[in-house]
Amino acid sequence: MSATDLHERLPIASPAQVRRAFRGLLAADKGPAVQVLIMYTLAAGFSVAIPVLLGRVVDGIGAGWGAHEVNLTCAVILACVAVQFVLSRSGRRAGYRFGERAAARLREDVVARVLGLPLDRVEQAGRGDLGTRTSADVNTVADLLRDNGPSMVTSLIEVVVLYIALFVVDPLLGLVSLLTLPPLLLASRRYLRQANRVFTEQRAAMSEAAETLSASGSGARTVAALAMQEERRAIGHARAETLFERFKRLIRLQVEFFFFLLWLNRLQLVLVVVAAGFWYLEGGMSLGTAIAAITVVVRIANPTNSVMTQLSEFQQGAAALARIAGVGLIEPETRDAVPDGNDLVLDTVTFGYGDGPDVLHGLSLHPRQGERLVVVGPSGAGKSTIARLLAGIDRPRTGTATLGGVPVSDIPVEELRRRVVLVTQEHYVFTATLRENLILAAPDADDARLVAALRRVDAGWAVATGLDTMLGPEHRQLTTAEAQQIALARVVIADPPIVILDEATAGIDPASAGNVEVALAAALEGRTVIAIAHQLQAAASADRIAVVEDGRIAEEGPHAALLAAGGVYAGLWHAWQGD
Amino acid sequence: MPSAPPPLTPLRLLTGLARPHAGRLALGSLLFLFAGGASMSGLWIVGRIIDEGFIARDAGAFALWLGLMALAVTVQPTFWVLGFRLFNTADAAGQRAIVRRLTDHLNTAGTGVRGRVSAGELVNLPSEDMRKAAHTVTELGFVANNLAMFLIGSALVWSIHPLLGVIIIAGSGATALVAGPLLKRLQRRQADYRDMIGGLTAQAADIVGGLRVLRGIGGDLLFTDRYREQSTALRDRGYAVANSSSWIHALRHSMPIVFVAVITWVGALLAVDGALTIGGLASAFSFATIFIAVSGNFIISANYLVASWVAAGRLTRFLAIATDVDDDGTLRGGIGELRDPDSGLVVPESGLTVLVTAETAPAAEACERLARHRDSEAVWDGRPLESYALADVRERIMLLTDEDHLFEATLGETLRVGPDAALAAIETACAADVYTGLGGTFDGRVAEGGRNLSGGQRQRLRLARALAAAPQTLLAVEPTSAVDSHTESLIADRVSAARASLSTLVVTASPLWLAHADRVVWMVEGKVHATGSHAELLADPAYRRLASPREFMARKLRQGGETA
Repeated sequence: MSATDLHERLPIASPAQVRRAFRGLLAADKGPAVQVLIMYTLAAGFSVAIPVLLGRVVDGIGAGWGAHEVNLTCAVILACVAVQFVLSRSGRRAGYRFGERAAARLREDVVARVLGLPLDRVEQAGRGDLGTRTSADVNTVADLLRDNGPSMVTSLIEVVVLYIALFVVDPLLGLVSLLTLPPLLLASRRYLRQANRVFTEQRAAMSEAAETLSASGSGARTVAALAMQEERRAIGHARAETLFERFKRLIRLQVEFFFFLLWLNRLQLVLVVVAAGFWYLEGGMSLGTAIAAITVVVRIANPTNSVMTQLSEFQQGAAALARIAGVGLIEPETRDAVPDGNDLVLDTVTFGYGDGPDVLHGLSLHPRQGERLVVVGPSGAGKSTIARLLAGIDRPRTGTATLGGVPVSDIPVEELRRRVVLVTQEHYVFTATLRENLILAAPDADDARLVAALRRVDAGWAVATGLDTMLGPEHRQLTTAEAQQIALARVVIADPPIVILDEATAGIDPASAGNVEVALAAALEGRTVIAIAHQLQAAASADRIAVVEDGRIAEEGPHAALLAAGGVYAGLWHAWQGD
Repeated sequence: MPSAPPPLTPLRLLTGLARPHAGRLALGSLLFLFAGGASMSGLWIVGRIIDEGFIARDAGAFALWLGLMALAVTVQPTFWVLGFRLFNTADAAGQRAIVRRLTDHLNTAGTGVRGRVSAGELVNLPSEDMRKAAHTVTELGFVANNLAMFLIGSALVWSIHPLLGVIIIAGSGATALVAGPLLKRLQRRQADYRDMIGGLTAQAADIVGGLRVLRGIGGDLLFTDRYREQSTALRDRGYAVANSSSWIHALRHSMPIVFVAVITWVGALLAVDGALTIGGLASAFSFATIFIAVSGNFIISANYLVASWVAAGRLTRFLAIATDVDDDGTLRGGIGELRDPDSGLVVPESGLTVLVTAETAPAAEACERLARHRDSEAVWDGRPLESYALADVRERIMLLTDEDHLFEATLGETLRVGPDAALAAIETACAADVYTGLGGTFDGRVAEGGRNLSGGQRQRLRLARALAAAPQTLLAVEPTSAVDSHTESLIADRVSAARASLSTLVVTASPLWLAHADRVVWMVEGKVHATGSHAELLADPAYRRLASPREFMARKLRQGGETA
């Protein structure tokens, strides 16, 4: 089976689709979002009132205010601070809560979408890609929504309100302060263009280092056995060097941008001081106005810097959201055929993966109901492809694969799996209790039924350990053979009329493999069983054997008949027996 | 023997990382100090401009102070980014040093790390933990920068008016006193919250990993419900975190503004009395504004430093893991029979020995002992295996199992021999499809873990790699379990011929290998039960049940007949 290299990449959303996805997240919770924005704006407004009132005080002192007037104005300032504090706290709280809800919606949505993926996509998607989208990418966007997002929005609103305040204090000084804005925007645009790539490269270097080192760790015995220390050392040190170089590139980029950012901040202050001084000395401006304007500009620097330095995080968040939204771009399958009966037929099918050449060439196979059919043949002959067509994962290029008279791949998944279950070599054990691992197909199954199924597949260990035992890497880790038994027990519990076993017992000890197969055969009595095998153990007891070679059925018939025919099967059989 | 170095501690690790960059860090601190000074002087100068330029209407003084301010605003960003560059370069070099050190440690500790660190940790150590530990220097630099700003700023405010200085220092202290405990509470809640995120992420990964099962057999609703339940719990926990963190953010933001207000008030009253100039009032106001950033930055730095310390602790623990196979032996040139007293297994100097057993695990363990992948009483050529130099043992005795790792490399690099020998090994292992599948060249790339190959291809490539190394003794555990019968037969034939003069042990019950065996060992429950030729052993019915295809099949047919 060589479909492993045929990962078709999952789609990535376009910028417009990302914007739509982002708007969707906001729109789903519109009321609170508006509330949050209003509170942020009011809080910023009240905090900006302070430097403005300071200017009033300065002018007042100039005009001969006494302590009473000062106290009155300063009490107003303190009141502004108090209101600002309350608004800022409740605004933040509402903002975080909004972010939490949006993050929860996002992750639940993507998981639901993943669980609705078309079957062939499920097979194709490199686990890595889909896994990254549902874990790392979701976490990146969630962090943005509940943490960086609110703080960036606060900063942004603060900057806008400060500029407005400056214009209110003195429009001309407001215009002067805007002089540094165009170069700042240009510089940040330039920075962002490069930053995304540099950050991505740096992260890639880090995950390459992590991958190399964890390979050295999981392959520690191989390193020792083959004396590969020098090679691993060379690779590890090369990764370290790449990491260093990429980090230095990032430093260069940041040094340039931060210098410009800091310098423009201060240049803005100098420009406003010069202009205010000039107009004040010319007599066109009060001292209070000049001071109010200067102190407002002093305040602009901090929120501006925090917006600018967080922009790249937003960019990364957008990239993550593009990948998450990409999962939703996969067309759902329309499966609405209703099978009549459980007759499974492959009729002169051809099939190939992607754009590749045909793997099956006009192959026909008709497992009779209740029959145990074994498909044997050398690796790469197309046996697993037959299994995938029978299970409705792939559609044949020509010819038909039908169940109960309708194409298998048109039957809704929920209906199909009540009739046909495919068990492959890949046995997945969920990090969950043994019970949860078993009741997948029958959520209502009682313990007695589960225990009976475990005994059927010879999994006495599982009965002994108890149904509430947590399984998984950090709990009870199963051997391949044990995982296989769990997979088979699931089938026994699901109890479908048709079972396809694709090398399902390949990893079990030779002696126990025999026992499991025998037990399974008993458990599946009366069911149609199609077993794919590369070794001949399983063949002899079958009702019928189909020998596949080069995507065609080379021979078909019961064991004795095939032996008597003296063809391919007989040759394999004798070779296997060591005759 | 050289005296043992003192045990590694997080502090030693971090100082060890910083030491090569001591000069760089000292210069960086100095630059940050100047940058902080320049930044604070700028604000002080604003006050002088207002007093001596604006109010005194002195254009000359205005120009002079403006010139000084222009100098300060040019110097500050320059010094700051130069300092930033020095600290970050040390940070980058620290990352490099940690990855190198982890690499070298993995080489010396070898299989000792197995079972001591989880796969997840092994990914985190060279990425997240490495990043955080190396970041310590940069964060300390920021602390120095903020400290400079704080000290110089306080002194300048003090010089404007001592009362304002007292208020600003008291204000920063008060902010820290209020924010500190709140921050601790937040961290506790956040730790729980992070754990929950980890749990939920693991659940999502679980769903993706088992997607085929969930779609193929059912349970998708069950797992969606489970996920949604956890997701809701996480959201509610997030609400609790939002309660604390909104307080902290509001306080961090508002406390300094409170002091701005207090300073404005006190300053204005002083100005009314003529004890403070208007420029002084404006300066004090600006200082108070800037202190928003400074006091907040201390709290952020403290957070980062705690995280760095924890990461350094994890790295230290990993670096303390010792190898599980000692290399104290000195003997070289071992040859001859290998014996494992634990199981009674004997591997002769040459020929094909097939080990037949119903339980693979104890047989594999016996092979691990004989290949010295675990310490044991094993004997080689009459002497304890442990008395031989490890390098010599590794060169002559090789273990081959399905656990063997295929690293990301070209096919040529994977096989580790010249093209002729590599082709021969590929031929013997019937792995020509791997060669052609990778483009018919030794430059074709094998993905990490052999992910771009099928299970059977991986197994045959591992076999080819072991054959290419041509060890004196090869101990192979189920080397053809994922290969079809026809190919298995060819492999058994070719391997026994190619290694006729060398010693090979194969753990398998396959009749195809047994047909070529010079000697068969039958192991029961981890102990050798009988030794002989396949034909001799077939006399025992229990052995026949295990290793005879006829018996095996006959039994199956009987069973089949019963169920039919």
